[in-house]
Amino acid sequence: MLKNDVVTEFVEAGYQISPDALEMITSHKMPEKLARYVLSVVDESILVIDAEHIDIDGFEKNGRYTRSVNDGDFGVSIASVDSQTPMSRNMKLPLSSESCKNHVDILFDITDRSTCVGEYMEFVQYFRDRYSRLSEIIRSRINARPIESLRRNSSGFGRNERYEEVSIIGMVSDLKTTTNGHRLIELEDPTGSFSALVRVNDKELFEQASRLILDEVIGIGGVLTNDSKLLIANKITFPELPNSVSCRNWTKGKAVFISDIHIGSSTFLEDAWERFIDFLNGKSDNEKLSEMSRDIRYLLVAGDVVDGIGIFPGQENELSIKDVYEQYRVAGKYFSQIPENIQVVISPGNHDAVRQAEPQPKLPERIRSFFPDHITFVGNPALLNLEGVKVLMYHGRSIDDMVAAVPGVSYQNPTTAMVEMMRRRHISPIYGSRVSIAPEKNDHFVIEQVPDIVHCGHVHTVGAERYRNVVLINSGTWQAQTEFQKRVNLIPNPARVPVVDLSDFKTSILKFN
Amino acid sequence: MGKKVVGELTDTYFNWLESKVKREIEVANRARSNGKDPKPHVEIPLAKDLADRVENLIGVPGVADRIRQLEETMSREEAALAIGKEIAENRITTFDSRVEAVENAIRVSVAMLTEGVVAAPIEGIDRVDIKKNDDGSEYISIYYAGPIRSAGGTAQALSVLVGDYVRRGINIDKYKPRKEEVERYIEEIIIYKNVASLQYMPSEDEMRLIVENCPICIDGEPTEQAEVEGYRELERIPTNRVRGGMALVLAEGLALKAPKVQKHVKKLNIDEWEWLDTLISGTGSGKSDSTSNDSKIKPSEKYLRDLIAGRPVLSYPSRPGGFRLRYGRSRNTSFAAIGINPASMVLMDEFIVTGTQLKTERPGKAAGVAPVDTIEGPTVRLKSGDFLRVDDEKGARAIQSQVDCIVDIGEILINYGDFLENNHPLVPSSFCFEWWVQECREMCPENIISEEELIDPDQSTVLQLSNTHNVPLHPKFTYLWHDIEIEELGILATFISENGRLDAEQQELVLPRNDNSLKIKAILEKLLVLHKVHGSTIVIKEPLPLIYSLGLDDNLKLKWELSILESINETLSVVNLISGMKIFARAPFRIGARMGRPEKSNRRKMSPAPHVLFPIAEFGGNKRDLNAASCFTESMNSKVGEIAVEVGNRVCPACSMETHECRCECGEFTVPRLYCQRCKISVNVDKCPRCGSYATSTDARNIDFKSIYMKAFENLGERNCLDSFKGVKKLMSKHMTPESLEKGILRAKYDLFTFKDGTIRYDMSDIPLTHIRPSEIGVSVEKMQEMGYSEDIHEKPLVNENQVLQLKVQDLVISYDAAEYLLRTTRYIDELLTKHYKCEPYYQANSIEDLVGSMMIGLAPHTSAGVLGRLIGFTKAAVGFAHPYFHAAKRRNCDGDEDCVMLLMDGLLNFSYEYLPNKRGGKMDAPLVLTTRIDPNEVDKEAHNIDVCERYPLEFYRATEKYLNPKDLEEIMDIVSNRLGTTQQYENFMYTHDTSDIAGGPVRSAYKTLGTMIEKINAQLTLADKIRAVDASDVAERVLVSHFLPDMYGNLRAFSRQGTRCVKCGAKFRRPPLTGKCTRCGGKVILTVHEGSVKKYLDISLKVSEKYNVSSYTRQRLELIGLDIKSLFENDQSKQMGLSDFM
Repeated sequence: MLKNDVVTEFVEAGYQISPDALEMITSHKMPEKLARYVLSVVDESILVIDAEHIDIDGFEKNGRYTRSVNDGDFGVSIASVDSQTPMSRNMKLPLSSESCKNHVDILFDITDRSTCVGEYMEFVQYFRDRYSRLSEIIRSRINARPIESLRRNSSGFGRNERYEEVSIIGMVSDLKTTTNGHRLIELEDPTGSFSALVRVNDKELFEQASRLILDEVIGIGGVLTNDSKLLIANKITFPELPNSVSCRNWTKGKAVFISDIHIGSSTFLEDAWERFIDFLNGKSDNEKLSEMSRDIRYLLVAGDVVDGIGIFPGQENELSIKDVYEQYRVAGKYFSQIPENIQVVISPGNHDAVRQAEPQPKLPERIRSFFPDHITFVGNPALLNLEGVKVLMYHGRSIDDMVAAVPGVSYQNPTTAMVEMMRRRHISPIYGSRVSIAPEKNDHFVIEQVPDIVHCGHVHTVGAERYRNVVLINSGTWQAQTEFQKRVNLIPNPARVPVVDLSDFKTSILKFN
Repeated sequence: MGKKVVGELTDTYFNWLESKVKREIEVANRARSNGKDPKPHVEIPLAKDLADRVENLIGVPGVADRIRQLEETMSREEAALAIGKEIAENRITTFDSRVEAVENAIRVSVAMLTEGVVAAPIEGIDRVDIKKNDDGSEYISIYYAGPIRSAGGTAQALSVLVGDYVRRGINIDKYKPRKEEVERYIEEIIIYKNVASLQYMPSEDEMRLIVENCPICIDGEPTEQAEVEGYRELERIPTNRVRGGMALVLAEGLALKAPKVQKHVKKLNIDEWEWLDTLISGTGSGKSDSTSNDSKIKPSEKYLRDLIAGRPVLSYPSRPGGFRLRYGRSRNTSFAAIGINPASMVLMDEFIVTGTQLKTERPGKAAGVAPVDTIEGPTVRLKSGDFLRVDDEKGARAIQSQVDCIVDIGEILINYGDFLENNHPLVPSSFCFEWWVQECREMCPENIISEEELIDPDQSTVLQLSNTHNVPLHPKFTYLWHDIEIEELGILATFISENGRLDAEQQELVLPRNDNSLKIKAILEKLLVLHKVHGSTIVIKEPLPLIYSLGLDDNLKLKWELSILESINETLSVVNLISGMKIFARAPFRIGARMGRPEKSNRRKMSPAPHVLFPIAEFGGNKRDLNAASCFTESMNSKVGEIAVEVGNRVCPACSMETHECRCECGEFTVPRLYCQRCKISVNVDKCPRCGSYATSTDARNIDFKSIYMKAFENLGERNCLDSFKGVKKLMSKHMTPESLEKGILRAKYDLFTFKDGTIRYDMSDIPLTHIRPSEIGVSVEKMQEMGYSEDIHEKPLVNENQVLQLKVQDLVISYDAAEYLLRTTRYIDELLTKHYKCEPYYQANSIEDLVGSMMIGLAPHTSAGVLGRLIGFTKAAVGFAHPYFHAAKRRNCDGDEDCVMLLMDGLLNFSYEYLPNKRGGKMDAPLVLTTRIDPNEVDKEAHNIDVCERYPLEFYRATEKYLNPKDLEEIMDIVSNRLGTTQQYENFMYTHDTSDIAGGPVRSAYKTLGTMIEKINAQLTLADKIRAVDASDVAERVLVSHFLPDMYGNLRAFSRQGTRCVKCGAKFRRPPLTGKCTRCGGKVILTVHEGSVKKYLDISLKVSEKYNVSSYTRQRLELIGLDIKSLFENDQSKQMGLSDFM
């Protein structure tokens, strides 16, 4: 049994598997059976199957399986995202070691900086900014020419250099499949546009090309055709995250990630939510949990604090609180129950009472006044510095587009969409689909600085994954399945909370239902 | 056809029509034989009956004869199923493959079910496929397309049954759906409901039941842009997009019309359809309890849904003050058209005029409006306090500006047939004169007083009849006792007794008007007791019936104890008791209504509107200007007017010259020059012999347009001085055959526009008409006699222009504007005949009067069969009046729909198949066949439910009180279906209520005369404030929620996801190009959604929400969207000035 098959089997069953565990299974003499056995006994709250979950003895005895650690009602199953000792690299010391102030620096958000007034040139500038910043990243890896220069070539002495390798960097403006099955990519840079062809029999490249999406910025290398009207591609370069981070910041304590609370909705899971608040207060029957809660220094909320009003047609029938300010008042009451030593950061989502177009500014004063003073409000997206640890918060509207556009990306595994964001160094590349944008001067969705943690929500499923040393987290929801989700066959993972240890970036997912 | 079904006069009429058609065809054939058109002969075949139409439409030879045989013994539906089976079994003609046979079988059946008129069988069924079940057996899959909608629910549902019926004949198994396929249907139909609209939305269980059991796979081609999200990439469903045809057939067809399908299943004894029982019993519960039991008819809000901004609500569901239901039919109503008094039209701010659509609470969903001045108008309170009823337009105009409140909006005339057609239980009739007089005759058979005197009698006559013969109190003096509370009755009686003064002649009751009597005035208004205000008194004329009804005597003394009120809870019963008279409920039922679409009478224009179907690509600019194209020069040295366009290539067989024209200069007729696009070789057959792909004759080629252009002017002897002369960018037809430019020159000369098939059309709202007076249609008595109108309805010879004549079934009355347009068309045709075809002119009309007697074609959208008509007169209203049969033959009723007319000669000369777009729906809305003679048996069955009697019988009125089903009265009512197959089906029609003018009242709806949407909304809300039966704040809320909020949300979203457009070449970009300029032509690129369109309704919404105190939910939504807009369009860094703008 190949490693790939095992991984597929686990992914299909809804689990992720760590390399250690994978090794253990594939090296076993009966890998298929073992894999099936593991799947049959594994605790369903576990997301990532690690070596510790693989009970070879139990399997070989073929006897009754005794459930491993079960943490009572709160089912705390702790899944470490990285199994290899992750922090072996040079790590900087905590920046401010002593403070219990739990400091948050807002490195960037749009609040009070929105300059857009809705003119055509702003749209152009917005995309030009995206192009220039992303192309800069790619340019460090390939030697690209402006598109205009390819055209000039054709009329002059181009014939001699027919087989010359050329590279261009451009924004994808169109993707087509030709009648013969080849993939035609139209690229655009500020000087013009050009088409590149990926041949169907160029297996690896074609596979890469089939995952391309509109409006991302890529580099393509290849050979020009005789008439210099088409580039036959042989290499595609993504902006990508760097392979390794030479140094990494850390601090002590834990950060808790939540989103999509949807207070005011008739499907809001009030009981689970209150259990979660109790947990933050150290009030938990479970010793492990109460111990854990003592370490918590940060609570990050990635949008959709309330269900809002008028977000979708007929919403009034699914609301338990129909007054949006009342929704926030209730939310404020809940947040005031959170101990003051936990620093709360709230950014808005598409259900919140700020503009729908992204980037969104932080919640307005009238709403902030319902919340305790020490809470920090930021826009969406926002880049934060938690005493050295950089966290990128984004509500995650673009995941809808990613799921529709990229094969293999699904709502069940939301971090797959986030990996695609990382590879493109952009959290919301596709324009004109589900994400509304405000044409600001700068494209705030470009990931210029590599964060340590990326935190999204929106899709109501939980996931945690490490991609090239960046911890990707989707923090689920506090809302049960809605009418809309029922119709589109979407099963949410409510009341699961990812917790990251800021000293070693180990991630656990707690369960509150 | 053995027995006589056509009377002598009618027979003469039909012969007259047919001989005139023949004459026109001869003229047209002579002209076309010149070869200036794609075919040298007329291309519209005549069809004398349904069988002909079906054969012409589908093109299966031999079908017509077999249909006629089958129809002798079977009903239409049975025959349709039978013929389907025979075709599938190759018994009528032999097909190459099973698939083809099944496909044609289904098409023919559907064509029969739809009277061979609509395009559904050709356009609505894309194809049929035979596929494999998971167990290896075969099943039939029918691919429905959007135009299946035009078939209507019953035919859609039966098409599935046909499929099942024929599959049994050729041994194909049933469809066994996979689980995910079932769920896909459900998800998809829900999405379809959101993006398009469905009349009926089945529950998920119903859908599951249908899909799991339906023996045929209902498939379809994608029609919507929307895609499913859950069940994607299914193996047997080739698309992820929403399939509209499938959704329609499943929801509006099978789910909604299950009982009808079941009827046929039982009749034909087909097994495996037992699941229909479950479907019907599951959904039928609502139906069974609405059959009798009065309390079950509840006010229905449905018609208020999707309220449209600027189109007012006239009355809330069943609310006092709304339209009072009067049963009956006027000359210009029935067949889903209702009548209201012209005074109501005027006082309701002229929103409703002749032809305007009304969305109604019952019996149907919508109706056209016609003026009827023999029913009661609105009752209003003037600013002076006077309370009066206005029954005529003149009176209404006189007081229009003084109206304070419209307490009652008047009566609405609805005929029995509309209740029958909609299968709506009869609801209690208002107590009206027609009813009363029959009650009166029954009580006192001796005719003491003539009927004329009884229409408007004085109080003493009425009281005498009531007292001596126990006749119910005359409706004139019957007040709306059921609208007031019991306590109010006591208060009123006591007040009058204590404060009233009756004059000596007993002609006037005077009440004091002071603070104490405010409530009394309100009660009098609720009762519709008319009164005047003189200084500090309220004066009621002819008050005795009121005084007696209240149980007072001549000295205004209370004859009864107030304690009676405690024991009885119905005001009307109390009144009957204390007055000692028989008093009926005056208006027990009100009909809610709102304005639907405005009436229409306008030329048909495509957009942009061309004069000729000649392609000029981009060379004419955005205006498609032919003159500009003829002057085009590519560069300094190139030839003037040489342009590259796509046209069909033709070749002359004699001299081998290539051309786009249908006749070569040498005189020979040209043929298309086919070639294979892929192999680049010329082939002479449809399919390329080398690669097998379809050959085509279309090609982009350079044509010397300048010389074609100049030559066309020269040929006609016209000067090139047209204001505008427009062609098209590209031809949509298969062979891309262009029209002769000459036709366009003459059209442009007379300012006429062509439609996609080369004809000139005029659209009008449909309103029925069964009787006319020569005076009201602007035609002289002599002319009418010439047209065959010799007798009036009382069989007296026609001598006077005010006599009432029965309209002949194919005669049309069109608007004056239409007549002017058609007059210009006749001039165009005459010049075309003389200058282009070099023939004799045909019409030679100088004024619209000369058009009377012209032959026309009536054609409804979504249909493919024209109906022959004859122009008989003109009306000032913006509608097209025609006999209900004529509308039914086009498969229209008169519920506010519109369709078009064209001149028959225009169709004969200019229509060609060759021009029709080669795409889905291209064959719709084109006269593919022409029905020359209307047979009531073969028109839409709806027309069989029209009542044509002079007066509804007393039993009818009594039946309405019992909420009987209209079907139970079919026997005693004189309706068309009882006359079918006899000469009476065309003759001796009557009506119950006359009207002095079929087009009375205002002519143009205020909706059309008011300018901006904001003006319309203000007018809508002003009217809502004025009418008692309307809740203005609810209207405001609905307008906000259904119109403004979605508009703003939608535009805001669109703004942030918008595409851009090049102003120069019109190229569209999904995203602005990085260069900032058009990547194709370098032109300036602009946004497609602007700040202005997002903000358009914000101010008015905020104002309306404040003034009408809408719900806080809606107000908050407005507040949030205001903030959203502000945040998006205001620069944070420079916004200091207006922070409080929105708060």
